[in-house]
Amino acid sequence: MTRREWLALISTAPLLKAAPDAPAAPVSIAKCASYDEDVTGKLATMFDQLGGLERLVRKKTVTIKLNMTGGPGVRLRGMPPAMTHYVHPKVIGATAYLMGKAGATRIRFVESAWATAGPLEDVMLDSGWNVRTLLSAAPGVEFENTNGLGKGKKYSRFKVPGKAYMYPEYVLNHAYEDTDVFVSLAKLKEHADCGVTLSLKNCFGIIPASIYGDDAGADNPNEKPTKGRSDVVHFGKRQPAKIAPPELYPGVGIKNGGYRVSRTVADLAVVRPIHLAIIDGVESMAGGEGPWIRGVRPVKPGVLLAGLNPVSTDAVGAAVMGFNPRAERGTPPFRNADNTLLLAEAHGVGAADLSRIEVRGVSIADALYKFQ
Amino acid sequence: MLAISGDPAEDLVLTGEAGLPTIHLTSRRKMQLGSGDPIIGTVQGVWPGIAPEEAGAHKAGPTSSVWIDTNTGFLRAVRAWGGSTVWIANTPPEKTVITTARYLQAIADAAIIGARWVIAFDGGLAARLGRREEAAVGTWKRMGALLAYFERHPEWRTMREAGQLAIVQDPAKGGLLSGGILDMIATKHTPVRPVPKERLTPQALTGATMAVNIDGDALSAEQKDVLRGFARGGGTLLNGPPGWKDPAPSGSAITLEKAELERLGDMWRDVNGMIGRRNLGVRLFNVASMLSNYVSAPDGKSALVQLVNYSDYPVDNVTLHYLAELPRATLITPEGAEKKLEVYKTEDGWGVDIDRVSTCAAIKLEQ
Repeated sequence: MTRREWLALISTAPLLKAAPDAPAAPVSIAKCASYDEDVTGKLATMFDQLGGLERLVRKKTVTIKLNMTGGPGVRLRGMPPAMTHYVHPKVIGATAYLMGKAGATRIRFVESAWATAGPLEDVMLDSGWNVRTLLSAAPGVEFENTNGLGKGKKYSRFKVPGKAYMYPEYVLNHAYEDTDVFVSLAKLKEHADCGVTLSLKNCFGIIPASIYGDDAGADNPNEKPTKGRSDVVHFGKRQPAKIAPPELYPGVGIKNGGYRVSRTVADLAVVRPIHLAIIDGVESMAGGEGPWIRGVRPVKPGVLLAGLNPVSTDAVGAAVMGFNPRAERGTPPFRNADNTLLLAEAHGVGAADLSRIEVRGVSIADALYKFQ
Repeated sequence: MLAISGDPAEDLVLTGEAGLPTIHLTSRRKMQLGSGDPIIGTVQGVWPGIAPEEAGAHKAGPTSSVWIDTNTGFLRAVRAWGGSTVWIANTPPEKTVITTARYLQAIADAAIIGARWVIAFDGGLAARLGRREEAAVGTWKRMGALLAYFERHPEWRTMREAGQLAIVQDPAKGGLLSGGILDMIATKHTPVRPVPKERLTPQALTGATMAVNIDGDALSAEQKDVLRGFARGGGTLLNGPPGWKDPAPSGSAITLEKAELERLGDMWRDVNGMIGRRNLGVRLFNVASMLSNYVSAPDGKSALVQLVNYSDYPVDNVTLHYLAELPRATLITPEGAEKKLEVYKTEDGWGVDIDRVSTCAAIKLEQ
């Protein structure tokens, strides 16, 4: 099957019915063979293709969720994490520069760093990033580790309107509330539990381990978390600290990360809407989300994607990876997972139907890089 | 010329020409600690490097860093006894392909602690050198260049561990074992100075802000008073769990038994919690595949941070934060000329960035 035949198939014969009311938005794709290319120039063109950054960020506080999954010391073949499973600092710096140029007053980079509530700057330095360069990329750049209270005095509560999949309310770091614009800056890669890690799944990381972590207190948050979120969110072995409400359907999907994580991600996309999705697919890894997954390998898809709707952006991202964004559980890449994109679509977050999404810049066919 | 006699596995004797010392390379437990001999040594050591798992993957998970097999903790403990130069004469593991990088790591693993690895080739390299094969000769030249790098700086061997964390330990017991508390601290890049309990005085703890008393029951009343005084003076003191006995090497074993390692894990959790990610002299970033050593000149006017990279790849963008008022920094590497580094202020001291570390590097800090 040729590239164009494959695209025609996945665009016209969706396996699941699309939600007709879910909004669709254009997605921009650019080719970028290496981080040594003019990443800033390419992103500027992409943002212009989406209508310009200024109308989105001028005089606003912008919070950008980075993808820095796993500890920075865990590496694939000794490679810097940004070349495989973290977003690259060149993309981050370029984004900050362009946001600053477009008039953003504050640019706050956030991540719930793996198993620590220490300064995010420390994790960045441990990843080999130059924090001083990032700070100087634009006025008002700051960093916050959202794995606990961070720089806030209290947690923010995000109640799911309507029917939640997993938790009726999510209790998060203040940064996710104290912002005008929320951006998901993700990596183009697969995920062992969730199928793909794109802009939606990236935001699983906004959940603080202080409350939802394996060593969270039973009653109160543990502001010095040292573990991940497997027991609570992935496998349902326990409930979060009582500051947050327990899951709605305890016992359902137990020990099934592909059920639970996908639904949690879809809920989060509702309570913390993503205004801009950016996906770094210049260099990445195939086979999973991090070096701890057996069989992963480094890849160079050579693409950047951006869009104003995370579901639409992820649908295009999945297609660029060679996957059907509407694939059902049991079908690649959702071999062990329910399709997060469709769950989010059913929540009304956005359309995962390629036939409704306008692609600007490079076409999917020209950007196609098959991960499997 | 040296005459070699004795049992290579237990007690090797190197006898030099007139005027040169006779060197005994023994098992670790037979080393004459504190003897005043100019050179003491052992034939026992672990082969330095990133420890592989059984399946060939490196020991790692989403949370963890790789574990590095090293003799640095042992060498630090022995050096804490005083002026002797320590020689370590472990041999490459059999039936293993030893790359050039692994030989360089073995040299540097000893040299950054001021010790010397007694060069030993694996059978394959020895045979290829005998045939003067180009690649083998290249390996030998690179080893020679690295040795020359360390020999160009004899002053480094006179510098002493300068971190703010002191470990009070009987060097004849746990200090002789690899993989113990000193090596665990090393993987966190927390600068540490072992203090033999026999040398535990208020002066020995000068400059320390934290102390770990590994085997509290082994201390005399006077030694316990020293630690009480340290704590009363504002130092943070962590005592080993009640009933804990620092294990000593037995037989040919130089690493901890599984049960001992598990018991040590309890203490490690406390130590880890106490030191956290504090800057106790220096703090290094992006060094997961490295080990380091922080030493200071006796007059305090200069200090040195040495790095060894145990991965097969160079590491870019290493950052060093340090506390000492030493605002000039120079990068010294085996590959080339010395390079002045830009020093910038950080929240708690100074910082420098190093573009790339291949096998090893030293950052000299000066007033």
